[in-house]
Amino acid sequence: MISSTIGIWNYWIVFCLMMIGLFLVIGRKNFLKKIVGLAIFQTSVFLLYITFGKIKGGTPPILNDSIDTIYSNPLPHVLILTAIVVGVATTALGLSLVLRINSEYGSIEEDDVSAQDLVDYHDDIETGKNFDLKFKK
Amino acid sequence: MISELLINAFLVTIMLSIAIALIKTRTVIFTVILTSAYSLVAALMFITLDAVDVAFTEASVGAGISTILFLAAMAYLPKKEEDSISSEFIPALSCIILGGILIWCSFDLPEIGQLTAPIHQHIAPEYIKGSKEDIGIPNIVTSVLASYRGYDTFGETIVVFTAGVAVLALLEKKNTTKKNKSQPKQKIRKNA
Repeated sequence: MISSTIGIWNYWIVFCLMMIGLFLVIGRKNFLKKIVGLAIFQTSVFLLYITFGKIKGGTPPILNDSIDTIYSNPLPHVLILTAIVVGVATTALGLSLVLRINSEYGSIEEDDVSAQDLVDYHDDIETGKNFDLKFKK
Repeated sequence: MISELLINAFLVTIMLSIAIALIKTRTVIFTVILTSAYSLVAALMFITLDAVDVAFTEASVGAGISTILFLAAMAYLPKKEEDSISSEFIPALSCIILGGILIWCSFDLPEIGQLTAPIHQHIAPEYIKGSKEDIGIPNIVTSVLASYRGYDTFGETIVVFTAGVAVLALLEKKNTTKKNKSQPKQKIRKNA
């Protein structure tokens, strides 16, 4: 009984971690923090998959000589190995996007960036795309 | 059994506190360090869940290379996170509601560690049985990764290559536009 509730409990922890990651992505306005939130979310999903593959009393899926060994499911491990490497690639891409935004706007806060975009937009309407006046505040 | 539960509870507590600290902190260097620590604790968690290959990949790639990337990017970025103007109530509320729905759905998930769960019935037993004869490698994860599902790994390399090309394209553009177009925007940066 205790072990069964513990089993479900582990899922709950994973969901809490996922939601913290999601909150960092949608609640925080700093772009770097958003990418960190994505990384947290990703790692929680990895944890969920690996939890699915666990078998009670099992060993890591490396073959040994005895016949009646129970091995944990190797398939989620393979999928997550792939996902970790892809996750680093997406992190690198996101960070380079942040760097690019920083060099264009001079800020990585979402509020600043959208305010500058709004100023640009209104100036475009008023002056008919006059690029000299475009960035006067 | 009891020791397993204790280790699990210990690691889970650390992970949750790191995640909450990530919400609290506003300094970029702490954010990066906490993310690295989170990955390392996740790697320990993978070991307790029998996923040793995933654990060392997470420790080296997730906690190592990601942190290096974050530190490298940090050098060009503002060191402090500004307090956001808008309220964080609606994002927090939607996260809590979504988390509640997920927890509600989790009662339909199979219990952790049951041999009768659907995931253990499909193709995994064949991989475990055939790995020694078909491939000849004792590590089943390696044989599935490189042979049974080799096309997945091939697709993964394509994804990584594409991401690398995209990163190069983005960072290349930065240098060329700095001289030509973004001259007026430099003024704003001085004002702000």
